[in-house]
Amino acid sequence: MESLLQHLDRFSELLAVSRTTHVSTWDPATVRRALQWARYLRHIHQRFGRHGRIRMALERRLHNHWRQEGGFGRGLVPGLANFQALGRCDVLLTLRLLENRALGDAARHHLLQQLFPGPGVPDADEETLQESLASLARRRSAVHLLRFNGYRENPNLQEDSLMKTQAELLLERLQEVGKAEAEGPTRFLSSLWERLPKNNFLKVIAVALLQPPLSPRPQEELEPGIHKTHGEGSQALVHWLLGNSEVFAAFCRALPVGLLTLVTSRHPALSPVYLGLLTDWGQRLHYDLQKGIWVGTEPQDVPWEELHDRFLSLCQAPSPLKDEVLTSLETCKAQDGDFEVPGLSIWTDLLLALRSGAFRKKQILGFSPDLSSV
Amino acid sequence: MAQDSVDLSCDYQFWMQKLSVWDQASTLETQQDTCLHLAQFQEFLRKMYEALKEMDSNTVIERFPTIGQLLAKACWNPFILAYDESQKILIWCLCCLINKEPQNSGQSKLNYWIQGLLSHILSALRFDKEVALFTQGLGYAPIDYYPGLLKNMVLSLASELRENHLNGFNTQRRMAPERVASLSRVCVPLITLPDVDPLVEALLICHGHEPQEILQQEFFEAVNEAILLKKISLPVSAVVCLWLRHLPSLEKTMLHLFEKLISSERNCLRRIECFIKDSLLSQAACHPAIFRVVDEIFRCALLETDGAPEVIATIQVFTQCFVEALEKENKQLQFTLKTYFPYTSPSLATVLLQDPQGIPQGQWLQTLKHISELLRKAVEDQTHGSCRGPFESWFLFIHFGGWAEMAAEQLLMSAAEPPTAVLWLLAFYYGPCDGRQQRTQTMVQVKAVLGHLRAMCRSTTLSAKDLQTAAGQGTDTDPRAPAQQLIRHLLLNFLLWAPRGHMIARDAITLGPDWFLMSCGD
Repeated sequence: MESLLQHLDRFSELLAVSRTTHVSTWDPATVRRALQWARYLRHIHQRFGRHGRIRMALERRLHNHWRQEGGFGRGLVPGLANFQALGRCDVLLTLRLLENRALGDAARHHLLQQLFPGPGVPDADEETLQESLASLARRRSAVHLLRFNGYRENPNLQEDSLMKTQAELLLERLQEVGKAEAEGPTRFLSSLWERLPKNNFLKVIAVALLQPPLSPRPQEELEPGIHKTHGEGSQALVHWLLGNSEVFAAFCRALPVGLLTLVTSRHPALSPVYLGLLTDWGQRLHYDLQKGIWVGTEPQDVPWEELHDRFLSLCQAPSPLKDEVLTSLETCKAQDGDFEVPGLSIWTDLLLALRSGAFRKKQILGFSPDLSSV
Repeated sequence: MAQDSVDLSCDYQFWMQKLSVWDQASTLETQQDTCLHLAQFQEFLRKMYEALKEMDSNTVIERFPTIGQLLAKACWNPFILAYDESQKILIWCLCCLINKEPQNSGQSKLNYWIQGLLSHILSALRFDKEVALFTQGLGYAPIDYYPGLLKNMVLSLASELRENHLNGFNTQRRMAPERVASLSRVCVPLITLPDVDPLVEALLICHGHEPQEILQQEFFEAVNEAILLKKISLPVSAVVCLWLRHLPSLEKTMLHLFEKLISSERNCLRRIECFIKDSLLSQAACHPAIFRVVDEIFRCALLETDGAPEVIATIQVFTQCFVEALEKENKQLQFTLKTYFPYTSPSLATVLLQDPQGIPQGQWLQTLKHISELLRKAVEDQTHGSCRGPFESWFLFIHFGGWAEMAAEQLLMSAAEPPTAVLWLLAFYYGPCDGRQQRTQTMVQVKAVLGHLRAMCRSTTLSAKDLQTAAGQGTDTDPRAPAQQLIRHLLLNFLLWAPRGHMIARDAITLGPDWFLMSCGD
């Protein structure tokens, strides 16, 4: 067991080195050894996939590495982050080497010979490295073809395939980090926030929060005990959002209104904070007598229309949320003096607008409005 | 060898030109043309690799100075990269160009450039920048997420197609026909990639609301080809849609079946059954349009071969599988019998469709007489002018081999005088074109033979010679004459079923191989 763990350590180092200029010192023999190690680890993955104890021991070792390299706060993820990665470690290594310009000619030539021996080399059990690489190339082309010849961005972000894939990856990573260390996810997310394009990240978070709970995938997980649910990942996200007010404010401003409503319905812990934010935004507006509308003082203030749309969307959400929102509005209105006349309290005006909007909707659709309690 | 290399040079020029025209296959025409040539280009690449691997990299450049360009153009055509094994063969070819020990800067540069191409095939990200940054940030390599991404895209497109199919009138969510056509073109190189199956299925089943066919011809051909070569597995419903929308595919499948049957040495019924069920023809034939086309092809085959017993056997196996599949559908016949068998009376079809095994022995005679009556009426009541009637009746009858079997057994088993109706039935089975007189003569001959066989049954000693005598009663010496065929059938049955028949079976075989083994059957 100990020798296996050492092997793992050495290979992790190797993988890290394979990206650096240090590979210029590698000769064909080194390359051959590296490939052999990779093949060995891949064999381990095959052999011990169902073996709970060994699998856990290996995974714990890998997580330790991760932590040692600066942990989850640094946001750098090592090449081998979990047991599953062992199943692909040969592909990981070879692609890194192939992309590394520093690799010498002789070593590169040897590598290519090993990787692509040509036809007629059938391997009995496993898919050869050649096949894995070829099939990866084929799948990439497939994605490229579909992307540019048929794919269209889905207006419902949570159903868009690109968004969904990113969300699934995020949740998977979070679950893993959570297993390795209790506080891991929070630090990890904060580091991602620093490094990644924020707009896309926020959208991915929203989509991740809307993913349905997963059932265990039979073909991927070799061990039946591990249930891949999205539960833990989602919880980590909510926890992090609640703990970071500036992130949450950006989250609420950047996302489409409807999407945000869906997220809030699904995760009730977020609604008080969201409502609090809306209240703050509302209070920044004042009534301009000349123009007869509510305006903000700063350019970044949320305008009246947006505020109205947000409340409208929330009032169309299913019951617990809708009631909460209306109660909140009523309370604010009461605190302001409980006026019925427009122009004095933004909350009164909002409620009036929502009610009349509902009335107009009733006239058009012939339905009784939802806001019977307003 | 020399001829090979000349061919290769010619091909080389041809493909170089094609690739230049196709460029990155971004227009309708270039995509269609690329799709048409994918298989041939892959063959060319294979031949190229076989030639290249024998040379060292300097020789390669001497022989084919523009090889780098050719391979690069191929690499930039995503249709080529997506097809079957082309990406693998391209990599092999590129590896042949790499110089193990570059002597000068020119060679080094070439190496560098080839590395770039390899990178492009294997790992360059041609994707949304944001997505790339995100996945990298999470520490995922493409090998980790590409399968998942492909799966999500395929499922999303498949469900869009399905929605398009169901929500025809909601124009907002409608998929533009060009987009659907474009998707079908893109699927052509990807047909054998299992990840794409849901999309292929959705394209076949969901046909939207346009009056004319949107999907590309190449798509249908590629799917059918993949089905025949067993490189894709689709549910029967999708295959039915394929054949309904693209008739040539159905025809090609039938031809493929015939080829298989002709090329295999001896076809026992079980093997024929395997071939037919494998091809999904019998299951798909539950849809009347498909049944009619298949039946028509069988009809042609029968006429062309003058009623060859092998074709008849195939038809009978097919019909059996078809009836089985119909029953498995587990509901009442959605379509009336007339849609399947339009040229004959429904009463005849209904009677013939019964399962002979399900009829108790005591009722055999009655049923056979009934069938005989119906057929006789259909055949003899036709005016002399129309020749379709008798043929159609006979054609329908031979679909169901069980009745002729039952009739032969009935004749041999019963001790009484053979009933005329049953004799007529068998005479008709073997000689549909006979005139009334000829048929009557056949019946007389057979009656005589039966008489002899009955005598043989009663006698204590039995020899193969007796059998030969019994058989030799006919005045006809043409083995294909209906009478002869029928007599052989009865003799065979006698050997199999009569109480002492098997005793003389071996002798019978050694005695007269020619006339005996000529009986059609298993």
